[in-house]
Amino acid sequence: MATQTAVDVVMPQMGVSVSEGTITKWLKAEGEEVAADESLLEISTDKVDTEVPSPASGVLTQILVPEGETVEVGTKLAVISPEGGGEAVEEPPEPATQQAAEESADASGAEGETPTAGKVEEPPPPPSPEPAAETPAPAATPEPDGDGDGQGRSFVSPVVARIASEHDVDVGQIEGSGRGGRVTKKDILAFVEQGGAKAAPEAPPAPAAPAAPQTPAAEPARAAVPAQAQAEKVEPAAGETVEPMTPMRKGIAEHMRRSLDTSAHVTTTFEVDLSKVVAIRQKLKREYEERHGVKLTYLAFIARATLDAIAKWPWMNAEIRGESIVTKSYVNLGIAVALEGGKGLIVPVVKHAEEKNLLGLARAVEEIADRARNKKLMPDDVQGGTFTITNPGGFGAIHGTPIISQPQVAILDVEAMVKRPVVIQDDAGSDVIAIRPMMNLCLAYDHRLIDGAYAAQFMRDLRTNLQTWDESAY
Amino acid sequence: MAVKTYLQAISDALRDEMRRDKRVFVIGEDVGVYGGAFKVTKDFQQEFGPWRVIDAPLSETAIVGGCTGAAIMGMRPVAEMQFADFISCAWDHLVTVAAKQHYRAGTAVPIVVRLPSGGGFSGGPFHSQNPESSFAHIPGLKIACPATPADAKGLLLSAIEDPNPVLYFEHKHLYRRIKDEVPDERYTIPFGEARIHREGDDVTLVTWGAMVYTADEAAKQLEDELSVEIIDLRTIAPWDRETVLESVAKTSKALVLHEDTQTAGFGAEIMATIMEEAFEDLDAPVKRVTAPDTPVPFAPPLEKWFLPQVEDVVAGLKDLAEY
Amino acid sequence: MAIAREAEPVSSIKETKEAGLDREDLLGIYRNLILTRGIEERGHILYKQGKIPGSFYTGRGNEAAAVGVATAMRPEDVGTPLHRDMGVHVVRGVEPWRMFAQFMGRVDGPTRGRDGNVHMADDRLGLIAMVSHLPAMLPVAVGAALAFRIREEKRVAVGWFGEGASARGDTHESMNMAGVRRLPVVFVCDNNQWAYSTPTHLEFACETVADRAQAYGFEGVVVDGTDVLAVYREAKRALENAREGGGPTLIECLTLRMEGHAVHDDAFYVPKEMFEEWAKRDPLERFRTWLRENADFTDQEEGEISEQVKKLLNDAIRKADESPLPEPDGEVDAVYATPEELETPHHK
Repeated sequence: MATQTAVDVVMPQMGVSVSEGTITKWLKAEGEEVAADESLLEISTDKVDTEVPSPASGVLTQILVPEGETVEVGTKLAVISPEGGGEAVEEPPEPATQQAAEESADASGAEGETPTAGKVEEPPPPPSPEPAAETPAPAATPEPDGDGDGQGRSFVSPVVARIASEHDVDVGQIEGSGRGGRVTKKDILAFVEQGGAKAAPEAPPAPAAPAAPQTPAAEPARAAVPAQAQAEKVEPAAGETVEPMTPMRKGIAEHMRRSLDTSAHVTTTFEVDLSKVVAIRQKLKREYEERHGVKLTYLAFIARATLDAIAKWPWMNAEIRGESIVTKSYVNLGIAVALEGGKGLIVPVVKHAEEKNLLGLARAVEEIADRARNKKLMPDDVQGGTFTITNPGGFGAIHGTPIISQPQVAILDVEAMVKRPVVIQDDAGSDVIAIRPMMNLCLAYDHRLIDGAYAAQFMRDLRTNLQTWDESAY
Repeated sequence: MAVKTYLQAISDALRDEMRRDKRVFVIGEDVGVYGGAFKVTKDFQQEFGPWRVIDAPLSETAIVGGCTGAAIMGMRPVAEMQFADFISCAWDHLVTVAAKQHYRAGTAVPIVVRLPSGGGFSGGPFHSQNPESSFAHIPGLKIACPATPADAKGLLLSAIEDPNPVLYFEHKHLYRRIKDEVPDERYTIPFGEARIHREGDDVTLVTWGAMVYTADEAAKQLEDELSVEIIDLRTIAPWDRETVLESVAKTSKALVLHEDTQTAGFGAEIMATIMEEAFEDLDAPVKRVTAPDTPVPFAPPLEKWFLPQVEDVVAGLKDLAEY
Repeated sequence: MAIAREAEPVSSIKETKEAGLDREDLLGIYRNLILTRGIEERGHILYKQGKIPGSFYTGRGNEAAAVGVATAMRPEDVGTPLHRDMGVHVVRGVEPWRMFAQFMGRVDGPTRGRDGNVHMADDRLGLIAMVSHLPAMLPVAVGAALAFRIREEKRVAVGWFGEGASARGDTHESMNMAGVRRLPVVFVCDNNQWAYSTPTHLEFACETVADRAQAYGFEGVVVDGTDVLAVYREAKRALENAREGGGPTLIECLTLRMEGHAVHDDAFYVPKEMFEEWAKRDPLERFRTWLRENADFTDQEEGEISEQVKKLLNDAIRKADESPLPEPDGEVDAVYATPEELETPHHK
C-alpha cells in the first residue's frame, strides 16, 4: 500500500531479551523505490540474522543508520516517503505516553522514539513548593498546604512525638512545613537545634535521674501561650558568660511564674515519726527484692498513706475550672524527679495510683524512675496528674515551700528523715525521751479552694496513717 | 575485573563453577544444543558434555523433582526454567517436597532453580511474571533477585553452595541491557545482605531486580530537591531487615518498590516489618509503588501502564517528601 | 515396535465423498489452507516491521493437520487449539483482521491487547483460548467432554498438544481420566518433531506418542500430518466414535516444524536434510497436486482463490492497523467476571 505520509522503518525486536541489532546490509539505496513488504535491509542480532521488510510502498528517502552500526530496538532506521513526494516529512514519532511528545529536538535524528522499548525522557519535574524554612518566624498560624484536609496541623507522627517527648517540646508551637501544616521531623529537629526561638512551650520534659528537685516540673500547658516577642540577643559583658535557655528551662520558668500568679500558695509542715514504717520496711525489704524484684522505698509508704488521706479529703486532689470545683474519683500521682546537671525536672505520673497496694506503688515508682532514667517516657506519662509528691529530702533539707503544679491544688514536699530526740509517753504514761526517725512533710496548697483546717486535717490523717501503719492492709 | 553484561556474568559464573566442581550440572529445556532460550548456557554442552548439560523433556516437575533427588545423592544441580512463569508447573514439588525435606527429615536439598523473570517487552501474561512473593511465603526456600552483574555472579555462587533450595530470579530485561564491572576472582555474596545502591537522607527506597534501575532514574531526577537512599535487597528470603530499619531510622520516610503485583506482593511484608519495628521512627506512612492487581498485559500501552515507571516512582517519592 | 495404527492416505475423490466431502468442500479446504499460511506469512512480515510486539509463532508445515481436524468438527463441537493450529481458527470462522489485531495487540483483537500471539479464541466459534504452559488446556478439553457426557449431548471436545508437551503430567492425567470415563474427547498430538530445540527422542521413549493411547484404554493412530484428507478422515472417524459414546481417540499428526520455535529462532539445530525432505511434502503443495490430479482443479479456480485470499489479507491488515492500541482502561475491573458473563455460548 502506498503511503500518504512518510513512514518510519524501525529496528525490530527479534526476541524478548534482545535489546539491540546491527545493520549488516542495506538492500536499497536512498532515493530508490520500494514496495511494501519488500526486503529493505539485513540485520544481525544476538539471536538471529534476518531481513527487514518495508512497512510501506514509496521512496526510501532517508537512511538514518549506516551499515555496521548497532542501535537499540525501536530506533528509527529510515524513512519511506510517498511516491513523488518531494521533502521527506518527518512524522512525529508515535508517543507511547504524553511524555514522548515532550521530547526535545536533539532526540530526533539518530536515536528516535520507540514504540516498544527504550527510555522515555522525563520533563523536568515541576518545582515543588519549598517547605517552610526553619527560621524562627513568629507567624502564629502555618501556611495551609494544597492538601487542605485540615488534619495536617494536629497530626503528630510517631517520630515527631518521640522527639518532642525527648526534648520537652510542645509541637503546637512549631510551624509545620508538611502537608496541611503538619510539623515534620525536619521541622522539629531544626526547632530543637535552634533552641526553639518561639514562645516557650511546656510539655513532657526529658528523662531524669531521681534526685531532689526544689520545685516540681511543668505539665503540658493547656492554656494558650501568648506569643512572645523574639528573645533579644544578650551580649556578655566582661566576666559574664551567656547561654541560651533550653526549651525545658523556658518551660519551667514560665510554669513556675504562672503557678505563683494563679494559686494562693500556703505551706503547712507536719513532723512524722517514721519508726513503724522503718521497722516494716526493714521486714519487707528482702522479700520485695527477692520475690518481686522491687526496691521498697519510703516513698512508696508515703504515697500509699497520702492516697488514703486523699480519699478522706478529696479536695486535695481537685481542680478549679473557672468558677467550678472539679473533684476526681481517681488519683494520678505525680512523682517529681530531677534531671542530672540541673537541666530541669520531670514529673512522671502513676495513673490510678489509688488502686495500687504497697507493692504496686513500689513497683510503679521504680518502673517510672527507670523509664525516666532511660529516656523512655512517652507524652502520656507526664500528663494528667492530679496530685504531686516531690522528694528533695535526699540532700538533707528539712523544710520546703514547694510550688503547686498547675492545674492541681496541692503538692507534698517530703523532707529528710533525721534521727531526733523526741518526747514520748512510756507505758506508765510518763514523759520520756526517745530517739526516733523523724521526717517533715510540707504541704503547699491553694487557698482559693482549700482552707487551713482542711489542709491540716488532711496532714494529720496522713501522719496518722504513717505512724500507725497497718501492715495487713497493704 | 572485566565489564560484562548481566547475562554474561551469570553465564561465566556458572561455567567457572562447573569447571571447579564436578558435582554441578545444568538441566532444563533447550539448555544443551540450543544453549538455553536466552543463551545463558551457550556452548556449555560442547565443553561439559550431554550428561552435565542436560536437555530435559518438557517436564518441569520432573526437572525440579529430579534435581531434588540428584541433590540428595550429592550432586549440585542447577535447573533452568525457560521462563520463571513455568515454575508454577513445578510448584507442587518445590513446596511439598523440596521446601520441607530438611525440616521433616533433616535432609538438605541443595538445588538451584534459575528463573528468567520480569516483563517489559510484550511477553504477555505467561512470560513476564515476578512470582517471588508466593515462594517467600513458603518456609524452607531461599530466594535471590540480583540487579547487577557483579551481584548476579556472587549470588549465583552462594546459591550453588547453599544447602537449601534456592530460587534464583534473573530479570530478563537486564540480561543484555545492563553492563558493569565484575571481579574476576570467585566470590560469594551472603543471602540476607542488602546493598546500598545510593546513599541519601530524606527517603528510604527499598527495591530489588530491574526496579533498582527505575528507582535510580527517579532519584536522579529528583536529586536537586530530595536525597533518596536506595536499598537493593538482593535477596528476598532471607532479607536484610537491619539495613532497611537502620535506613528508616535515619530518614523516617520509606517507599517500597516492586515490579510484582500489589496485593500480598513482598512489599507488604517489608511494610509490615517497618510498621512493627520502626513505628516511632516514621514521619509518614510507608508507601508502595507496584504493579496493579492484574495479569501482565501484552500490548505495549497496557504493559506500560502495568509496570511501575520512573514517573510513578518520582510521584511516589514526591508525595512522601511533601507529607 | 509401534502399537498405534498407521493411517492410510486418501487416494481418490470417491473416498472423500464417502467421508462426506463434495468438490465444493474440497475447494473450501484448499482455500482455508492458503488462508492459514497467508495469515502466518503476513504476520511474520509484520513482526519484522516492528508492528507485532513480543514474539511470533507460526505453524508452518502444520496447516493440513489443523485444517483437517477442524473441517471434521461439527459447529457444536469445541476445541482448544494451540499456536501451531492457526488452521483451526480459520476453519471455525475467525475473521483474519481480528487475528492480525490480536498479534498487534490492538483493541479489536479478541483479548483486547491483554494477551498476545495466538493466545486467543472466539468463544462464539466454540474455541477456548490457550495459555503458554502446555498442555494445560488438555484437562480443560477433557472437562468440556465431561460436561457433554453429563448432559448426554452429542458433542465432542478436541484437545491439541505437542509431542513435547506430552512429557508433562497434565497429559497423563487428562488421557487417563478420559479413558476411564469414556469421555467424548479427541486428543490431537501435533508431532512436529521438535520442541524448541529438543528432538522427539529426548521427549519420549516409545516409538510414537500414539502408542500411549493403549495404556489409557483407547485407540491411537498416527497420520501423515501433511495429508489434509488423511487427517480429515481419521478425525471424522474419531469424532463420530466419540459422539456415539465410543470414548476418546489419540490422533498423532506427524509433520515437521518448518520454521524455528518462534521468529527469533533460526532452528540451526534441525538438520538441513530434514527441512529439505519435508519441504517436498509441503501440505499446500500436496493438496494442490491432489486436487489437480483427482478433482480437475483448474488454473482459473486456483487463481481466483489466490486472489480472493490475497485481497482478504490485504483488507484484513489494513483494517487491523486501524484498530487502536488499547488504553489502560478498566484493566483491574477486567480481572473478575460478573454474573452477566455467564450467558456465553459456552456456559449455556
